[in-house]
Amino acid sequence: MAWVAQFERVREGDATPPRPIGPWRLGWRRFRRDRWGSFSLLVLCVILVLALFGAATLTRLVGHNGQTPFPYAASLTGKRPVGPWTRVAALTTPRVDEYGGPLPLPRGTKTTLLVLGADGPLGRDEAIRLFDGMRTSLEIGLLAALVAVLIALPIGTVAGYFGGRVDDVVSTLTESIMAFPLLLFLVYANRFLLNDFGALSWSWVLPAGVVGESVLIGAVTSFYPLRLVRAQLLVLRHAEFVEAARMVGASDRRIMRRHLLPHLVPTLLVWGAIAVGTNMLVEVGLSFLGLGVDPSIPTLGTLLSTVWGTIFNPNTYNSHNYTPWQTIFPMAAMVITVVCLNRFADAVRSALEPRATR
Amino acid sequence: MRVARYLLRRLARAVLTLLIMIAVAFALVFPVDKNPPVGDFFSHRPPFSPKEVRAVDHLFYLHQSKVLLYLHFLGQLVRGNIGDGHQLVGTHVTNTGSLGPILFPAYGATLSILFGGAVLVVLFSLPLGAISGKRVGSWADRIISFVALVLVCTHPMMLGLILRSAGGAVKWLPTGGYCPLTGHSGITITSAGNTAMTCGGPLDWSEHLALPWLTFALLFLALYTRIVRANVAETMTEDYVRTARAKGASETRLIVRHVLPSAGLRVLTMVGMEISTAIAVSIYIETAFGINGLGRLAVQLLGTPPLDLDWAVAIVTLITLLVVVGNFVVDVLYAVLDPRAGVFARPEGTKSLLGGAF
Repeated sequence: MAWVAQFERVREGDATPPRPIGPWRLGWRRFRRDRWGSFSLLVLCVILVLALFGAATLTRLVGHNGQTPFPYAASLTGKRPVGPWTRVAALTTPRVDEYGGPLPLPRGTKTTLLVLGADGPLGRDEAIRLFDGMRTSLEIGLLAALVAVLIALPIGTVAGYFGGRVDDVVSTLTESIMAFPLLLFLVYANRFLLNDFGALSWSWVLPAGVVGESVLIGAVTSFYPLRLVRAQLLVLRHAEFVEAARMVGASDRRIMRRHLLPHLVPTLLVWGAIAVGTNMLVEVGLSFLGLGVDPSIPTLGTLLSTVWGTIFNPNTYNSHNYTPWQTIFPMAAMVITVVCLNRFADAVRSALEPRATR
Repeated sequence: MRVARYLLRRLARAVLTLLIMIAVAFALVFPVDKNPPVGDFFSHRPPFSPKEVRAVDHLFYLHQSKVLLYLHFLGQLVRGNIGDGHQLVGTHVTNTGSLGPILFPAYGATLSILFGGAVLVVLFSLPLGAISGKRVGSWADRIISFVALVLVCTHPMMLGLILRSAGGAVKWLPTGGYCPLTGHSGITITSAGNTAMTCGGPLDWSEHLALPWLTFALLFLALYTRIVRANVAETMTEDYVRTARAKGASETRLIVRHVLPSAGLRVLTMVGMEISTAIAVSIYIETAFGINGLGRLAVQLLGTPPLDLDWAVAIVTLITLLVVVGNFVVDVLYAVLDPRAGVFARPEGTKSLLGGAF
């Protein structure tokens, strides 16, 4: 009961009262006590570092990049690509005689290391492509969540704050549209509305198609934050501090921006962490449906769908070309990231809103 | 009386949803085909005669008022026709007959997946959620929650493909295709004198769908277990549970008779709300197991230009109808099982975050 003694001392004037702790710092303290949450944050940081710097570092270490094809790692004789941790001849064209038959490699041919094996008929480095893919997938997840929030905030705020007729229209529309599988909207939009965004790219940072896909996923999933924002504002608009602000003459705009917006941050943060994971899964799904980013650009979805095929031509299991590492590593990256994002979101929720029920 | 009024209101809402979704389908289909690809329909080189251009315009309904078309479609729907297909023969648009014979078998396949999957989900999640919720924080609870989370973070397509590969290795169950519930298995002799295997009947049906159902159930386990868990944990502290325990009810009886019914009600609501998500997931499951269902048909139609108005509207209508009818059935069940429904209307509840965006 140390705090009781401290309280007594403060009351008798022997000590100065402690400074109050802000909600964010309080939340951070609670968060640190959550073992699962802290662990997932750590894992997420590692994943982020790997996604950002993994490909570049590995390229420097092994001396080739993710686009270099190594025929000796792959389909020279119709065999399956080489597995993890294999050294192959560092030649980008196979040595053949004038009839196309394979020639033996000269003595002393340089070899290069494929850490996670090769990726299929082209024999590119799976590890570098995996790191690149993690980065692209995370980009899509983050960008899409951002777009969704940008769409949902103004509409949800207006609907929730003013209520009444505006709210009726907005909520009826969102509920009706949400009754339909949003994935099919995405399929339709991907095929018919994507042309304007398709070519938008910025070097390796944002490969072609990433922006377009993010905007689409974000637009389609924006119904969820919209409902969250609306539901919360419907409650908050009758709060005392809103009435107090209105009484001293604050405009609606000011109340929304200065008084209500900060209350939405925890909700949107928790939603955002989960949404990044969901968006990554949606991206994988779109690749499986033969839509999404161009298959030549590595994302977790394209890495997996080159192995398993798409909806129009699925590759079934075949022991002859069975390459488990091409499934296991991208899938592990996907599952670990999404699980950690969920655990992280749970921990943030219970840290920032300790009284909220799950 | 009150219940009747409640149900009437939900019915009105269901019809409104259906009307809005069909309108959205019309609105989305039209702007895309302002300039129909005339060249796709005629083998000769461009300039096309006005007659040919007009024929293609007619095929895409560009000569008609959209509102009239909408009303015409609704009228047809009321009379029980989901729509007719149209085709260009020469320069005449001819009616190829109702789309029903192609759509309804696919509808049946999807309904089978959803129905069996939902039953399996409830069968799995009630006991697991009860174990979890009875002692929150125990090892069993942690393991169940974690495994369920990992399963939902695994993409449905990957989960399906893995189960299919596993099923193929074990050879207990057929790993692909679909057998209708009606009809019977056997060998028939076709008119050409060849023998053909037909399959059908309850046994073939359930055998072929066992793995898809399992995929479905494993994927949704996380969402439902979580709900049951929260509900059980909450109910365990209620007075009537304590009373039952004091009267000497065994723990099993306590859970089964006193705690689970309310959780079951909550699960029922969730099943109703998640139908559109389930349809989206069934697209992946149909793809993974090679079942020609409605979802797969929808992706193929909505993802391949030029969009055919007849098909697009018919599919959107069928899917929305499924969602709306499912929701309404849940409403009715809810009103029957919990007569307070009119007073404390069914919990609105947001759709689950992680499942929602599929």
